[in-house]
Amino acid sequence: MFLSTVVLFLQEILEAALLISVLLVLTRVFNKAWANSLIVSSNWVIYGVICGSLLGWAYARATPTISEWFDYVGQDITNASIHFLGFAFLVALTWLMPMNPSATQSIKNRSACLIAMAALVVLSVMREGSEMILYMEGGLTRPENISSIISGGVIGTGIGISCGIFLFYSLISLSTQWSLRISILLLALISGSMTSQIVMLLSQADWAPFTPIAWNSSNLIAETSLSGRLLYALIGYESTPSVLQVCAYIAGLVGVISGPLFRHAWFHFESTPTQPTV
Amino acid sequence: MIRKLITLCIFVFSAQHGLAATLEIEIIIKDHLFFPSVVEVPAGEKIKLRIINQDQTPEEFESYELNREKVIAGNKQTVIFIGPLQPGEYPFFGEFYPRTAQGSVIAK
Repeated sequence: MFLSTVVLFLQEILEAALLISVLLVLTRVFNKAWANSLIVSSNWVIYGVICGSLLGWAYARATPTISEWFDYVGQDITNASIHFLGFAFLVALTWLMPMNPSATQSIKNRSACLIAMAALVVLSVMREGSEMILYMEGGLTRPENISSIISGGVIGTGIGISCGIFLFYSLISLSTQWSLRISILLLALISGSMTSQIVMLLSQADWAPFTPIAWNSSNLIAETSLSGRLLYALIGYESTPSVLQVCAYIAGLVGVISGPLFRHAWFHFESTPTQPTV
Repeated sequence: MIRKLITLCIFVFSAQHGLAATLEIEIIIKDHLFFPSVVEVPAGEKIKLRIINQDQTPEEFESYELNREKVIAGNKQTVIFIGPLQPGEYPFFGEFYPRTAQGSVIAK
């Protein structure tokens, strides 16, 4: 019970923690881009986590009901929709991101970016949180499990958050341009794993057409292995993805990368702007 | 025009779903175990797994080989579609109680 709790919590927390770290790095980059004239505090993360936890709790409560919708595939459809919303916010964020220090543009886009980032945190915490809540509620019904679930949960959460903090400090130790580039790349991978998850969820609900398996890399990196699990949390690794999943993954990557590429952020992001007017 | 398109979509969708009856297989979860724990299915066919959780506690049906993952609330049931599968063995497990909840689908 102890070990499975650690693994489960670590996996769920890691996914949310990585996303939150990257978004916090972006906030710092934005502040530099706006030349500190429009300092954005990082409070949105706290609101996002609180709001996401509450929604996660509500979602866990509603799961038994939702699972019966659409002839018992309601949960898949709901989760796919949550992922789709997340993907949409990611694309919006990367297309609206401040790319140059012009103040007028920044003010207009600042709130949109913040809303997108907060919404991403809410959705991520809600989805991962509801699963942990369901697991805990089930496990805690037996008194003999209580100590192993609590200690396992604390350790899993601790490791997951530590990884997030490690990523955050690694990224901000880089130059502004490189931390922006790598953050966008990580967001693209997160986006790809979201879109491939959408396909997986729709396939198991029989709402997506069947496509054969694209490759089998389970001999190379098994999903059961530690590296496989880490890669799953980080980039949505699957050892036997279907062709449609691979296509969706690529679409997810392109959706996020294309914004910054088209707007030339990738190549000339300026961190030392001229005097902003506001 | 749009109405025609919608009708066509509904027609294609229902034709896809209605023509061949999908083979349905029931798996029961009880005391954090799967019954039956080994499920034999025909290869190359779509299968509808109906998983009935008779425990009070939720469980998560998960299989890396089948690419499937779904939470089933306590005392509830759910449906997961798998396949068409290549012949072979596809292990699955309950992520919430992985020590006991183990099983596999064998496609022949």
